[in-house]
This record gives sequence, structure tokens and C-alpha cells, in this order.
Amino acid sequence: MTSIALKSFVGLRQSSPEKNPHFTTTTQAKPLTFTVQNPRKLRVVAGKFSPKVAGRNLRVAVIGGGPAGGSAAETLVKGGIETILIERKLDNCKPCGGAIPLCMVGEFDLPLDIIDRKVTKMKMISPSNVAVDIGQTLKPHEYIGMVRREVLDSYLRDRAKENGATVINGLFLKMDMPKEENSPYVLHFTEYDGKVGGVGVRKTLEVDAVIGADGANSRVAKSIGAGDYEYAIAFQERVKIPDDKMVYYENLAEMYVGDDVSPDFYGWVFPKCDHVAVGTGTVTHKGDIKKFQLATRNRAKDKILGGKIIRVEAHPIPEHPRPRRLAGRVALVGDAAGYVTKCSGEGIYFAAKSGRMCAEAIVEGSEKGKRMVNEGDLRKYLEKWDKTYWPTYKVLDVLQKVFYRSNPAREAFVEMCADEYVQKMTFDSYLYKRVVPGNPLDDLKLAVNTIGSLIRANALRREMEKLSV
Amino acid sequence: MASIAISASLQRAYSSYHIAKKQQPQPKLARSLGTKQASTNAVTLKVEGQTSLGVTEQVQDKSGSRIDELGNAENTAKDGAETESSGMKFTDQRWKNGIWDLNMFVKDGKVNWDGLIVAEATRRKFLELFPEAATNQDPVLFKSSIIPWWAWLKRSYLPEAELLNGRAAMVGFFIAYAVDALTGLDVVGQTGSFICKAGVFATVVGVILFRRTKDFDNLKKLADEATLYDKQWQSSWQDQKEKKV
Repeated sequence: MTSIALKSFVGLRQSSPEKNPHFTTTTQAKPLTFTVQNPRKLRVVAGKFSPKVAGRNLRVAVIGGGPAGGSAAETLVKGGIETILIERKLDNCKPCGGAIPLCMVGEFDLPLDIIDRKVTKMKMISPSNVAVDIGQTLKPHEYIGMVRREVLDSYLRDRAKENGATVINGLFLKMDMPKEENSPYVLHFTEYDGKVGGVGVRKTLEVDAVIGADGANSRVAKSIGAGDYEYAIAFQERVKIPDDKMVYYENLAEMYVGDDVSPDFYGWVFPKCDHVAVGTGTVTHKGDIKKFQLATRNRAKDKILGGKIIRVEAHPIPEHPRPRRLAGRVALVGDAAGYVTKCSGEGIYFAAKSGRMCAEAIVEGSEKGKRMVNEGDLRKYLEKWDKTYWPTYKVLDVLQKVFYRSNPAREAFVEMCADEYVQKMTFDSYLYKRVVPGNPLDDLKLAVNTIGSLIRANALRREMEKLSV
Repeated sequence: MASIAISASLQRAYSSYHIAKKQQPQPKLARSLGTKQASTNAVTLKVEGQTSLGVTEQVQDKSGSRIDELGNAENTAKDGAETESSGMKFTDQRWKNGIWDLNMFVKDGKVNWDGLIVAEATRRKFLELFPEAATNQDPVLFKSSIIPWWAWLKRSYLPEAELLNGRAAMVGFFIAYAVDALTGLDVVGQTGSFICKAGVFATVVGVILFRRTKDFDNLKKLADEATLYDKQWQSSWQDQKEKKV
């Protein structure tokens, strides 16, 4: 503590003519320690510990230009911070389901024309082909938005750019850690000038803080030794199906569950702008992903008959956060940190939200770019994040563990989803990302029904074991 | 397949009309019994008329089980040839428009829930082996919740029941012996004592909870699994605490 504080005086003296606007009383406890050591300087350190940055604003680099990077850059630049966003491929269409909850449209002020489709119906199909329609409880204005990632990403990035962020088309290579406290991070990257096949130019860049938003194979995470997470592999085929079949998928998404489709996740058919995405994912049996994909296609056979595969994609999905999401003045957000929910596998909203939350913490800690930030400031983002979203992640983890465990459990899951109360609760928490306490009586009824379903399904499983077909 | 053949033969046994006939040539048609429907519907009406058919029933059952074997052999041969095409579709004469026809499960004037459970288990097993495309034309409407709870209860059977009974009896006998030897309280006296009754209860619960040695492992695994995700999340706070210390 003392060493940081003493150093901070050096910086403060340099910029002392600039008056500190934040002469707040909230940090009363900290200056008190100073009064003992150096009472003369009390006036200056009343705001924060860290030194002011002289002659410029705080420089922050955002690595990765997905939803997390885009929204982080926008918030940073709006908070008066010099922002540099480095993205490897500006027209990258990432393989992704592309579903965003309703609240994201409002919170991130998204224009309606980037939403390709408004999904208002979900169909869940159990291993024994029981289909349940979810979504009757939706109100007329409620929907799940389906976006194309290339459109959403570039929209968020452009908005950051309009506000004054510098967007660099470059590939981040590595970064040098600062040797001393408060000295800058040196980023090495290859810059491309946009020409196809052009050889990039190696450049370096000095920044005060880094936000790593570079996805599952994050190099930022590697360079701060953030550790690994387990990941699921998701496989997806974009299928162009005949127009008459497309009518069915107009505003409907399908989820298939079953051992044939995926041993620990689900298979999906999601509507896209003019085609459907058929895919599946798994953690435990990554080698068999092709087989599961075939099974998913077979289950949806009649509905996608005559379709042509226009693109095949595969990508890793993190299962849990990295052991370290923060080191010094480097923070991880989005997929790089591992913020994907279990059970539903949702990540776009959480990425954008974590990017924003991290940027807010930096803006606040730096007093709108005037001061240096330290690890403590960034920790605030982690604290807030875990406090806000930990319950959501935990609930979905429990759901996945209970209901994706085996075929009988999946049957019970589908049976449970037929219940209107469940649908209402699920959609409320999905669309608005807030946990609304339910009616205790309904909760009890639901618990009893669910346990009943599970027992029945497992009893049938025992019967199946006795049989030999 | 087995169940289908058996129950089909049972139904046949009930209507006295069929018994006079020779049933042997029937089995090969067992899977696509279009013509049988009329007679099986009639079963509900004729229930009262069957009293002393025990013997013939047995005979029919035997023939039924032979039918199975035949059917099984046929099926396996077929399955071997068709595993690749996955074009297998579940068919059963009692499965109509995505639901089990309860009229076909009637036995002694009551619905034969056991038969229904077996039939549904068969269907699910079949679908696990040969996943079927989900279509909008013929949706599955059957819900297992229509089967009453006592039908499930009747079929529930603990495989280790004998083992557990034996174990509880041995433990009980030995402790009764030990208590008698130590305190002088005889077995008849022990049954009157509250402490001894509580001891018996605790033993029974213990025997049920820990049936096999692997139950210990399973419980431990379950606890680990339940806390794994919490640990994965908390790890980003651990190094901060270490730093502070």
C-alpha cells in the first residue's frame, strides 16, 4: 500500500496545477493513513491513489472486435479514454447461433434492421419425438432476435469508431509486461492495410491498460497466464432450404435433445436471414461431433429436405470462466473470460455486457481518463459481474446437470417445458435477464411435477433395460 | 417386439371365438395385424364370458413366446441389414396417430397399465436405436403422465431386496445377541425398549442408504459434481486472497 501511495505523489506533483474535481469524502479512510506519513500532501491525494496521466488521456487497447470488444470500446471512448481497437478480420462471420435477448436491443440501443428474424416460437423435441411448443406465453412485442454476427459486430465496432475510437485491422501477437509500476504495456501486432493477401506490417503500441476480448483462443489470456477452461465444440451447417420449407421456420427455432443428437448439449435448427443453421455441440465426445451432426440433420429430415449446405462452421464454446480473468491492468471479457452459460449456450449478450461493465470500471477508476488505473479498479468489474450474473450461471449449470444427463431426464425436461408457468419464467429470465421470484405455490407444484416426470421417465428407462428389441 | 407378440396373444386368448381356431400361422403377420382390430375391439364386450379359460391361455402364452423368438430372429436379421439406412419406423398396431390406443390395452374390463408401460418402453428403446425424424404431420401426443402412480409403484422392484433383507436380519440378530450378552436384557425385553427401537430404525435406514460399497463413491461423486462449477468460478478470487496474505 505504502509503496503505491508514495509513488503516486511523483505523478501527482507533475500535474498538480490541474485541480482534482473529485474531492470526495468517500475515500476518507485511505487518506487518513497518509496524514501519519506525510500530512503536507493530504490535499492532493484526497481523490485516488493512482497518479494522473500527464499530457494525454488514459490509453486502453481492446483486443478483439466482437460484441464484447465493440461495446467495451464504445463505453471507453464515451468515457473520455483514448481507445484503440484491434481486430484481425473486419468482415469475419463468426460461427454462432446469433440469438440475442430482447433486453439487449434496448440496453445497447440496437437498430431493428440488424435483426434478421424475430423468433416467437420454440419447439423442443425429446428423444421419443415428443414436441413441445414454447412461446405461447410471449406478449405481442416480445421476441428473441436472430442476428448475423458479421452485421452485429461491425455495427457495434462502427459505433465505437464514430465516437472516436481508433479501429486497427491487425493481428495481435503478444504483449510485453511492464517492468515497473504504472509503465505501459507494449503490444506487438501485425497491421494489415485491408488489401487481400497483403503482407502485414509489424508494429508496436504502448497502452496503459488492455481489455482482452479476443474469444476462446485468446492470446491476451495466454500472455497473462490466465489458465485454460474446458470447452465444448459446436458444429453448425448453414443450410439453404426451399422457400416452401422456409415458411415453417419463419419465426420458429427448434431444439432437439437426445443421446443421438448430443450426449450433453442439444441440437438446433435456427432460422437465419434466408437460410437455417443446423448444428449441435458437445463437451464430452468431441470426436463424434460429425455423427451427432448427422443425427441432428436426420431428426429434422423432413423439414429441411432438399436443403443445400452453404457453409460449415465449428467453434469452441467455453464451459466456465478462466481461473484468472484479471492480472495487473489486463482484464478479460466475453468468450476470452469464459462467460457462456451452460444449458442454453448463450454468449452474445453476456459478452457485450461484460465488455461494457469492464469499460465502465476503467472509466470510473481513471476518472474519465485522467488517472492511471490499477488492478483494484478492474477488480470492481469482476466483483460486480460475479454479483450480478453468478446466480444465472449457477442455475443454468444445475439445469444442465439435472436435465441433460440422460434420455429419461431429457424426456422429463421436455415434459416440464410444456408447462405454461415454466415457459413464462424461462422467457422472462431469458428476455430480460433478471430473475423474477415466482409464485411459491406454483413453484411447489412445478417441483412436484418435475420430480414426478423424472421418476416416470427413469422407471421407463428401467423397463427399457429389461427389454431386448 | 416381445411384448407386442405376447399381449397380442393374450387378447386372442380372451375371446373364446379365437380359441377354436388354429393360431399357428398367425405369428408372421403379428406386426401388421390390420384385420385383428375388429376382434380386439370386441374384447371389451366379451369380458364376462371368460372364466375357465386358464389352460388354453397357458397354451396360447406358450405359442406366444415362441412367436417372439421367431419374431426376434426375423427382426435381428432385418436390423442387421437396415442399420445404415435409418429408415426404420416404429410400427405397432396399438400405436395410432401418435398415441397408444387405450382400447387395445383393455384386460378384464380394466386398462392394462403394465402392458402400456412395456409398450411405451419398447417404443422408446426402438427410437433410441433408430432415431426417427420428427415430423409435423404425425406428432407424438402420448404422455406418460396418463399412467396412474400405482401402476408405476407396482412395477418398481429393488434388485438388491434379498441382499438388504438378509443384511438387516443378520445385523439385527447379532446386535440383539450382543446387547443381551452385555446388559442382560433379553430379546423380548429389547423389543419394549425405546432405545432399541430407535437403533433398529437407524440400522434399516443405513442399510437402505448404503446398499453397496460403490454407493459411497457415488455420493462422493455427486457432491464433487455439484460443487465443481462453484470452484471454477471462485478461482479468480483465490489469487487475490493469496496476494493479500
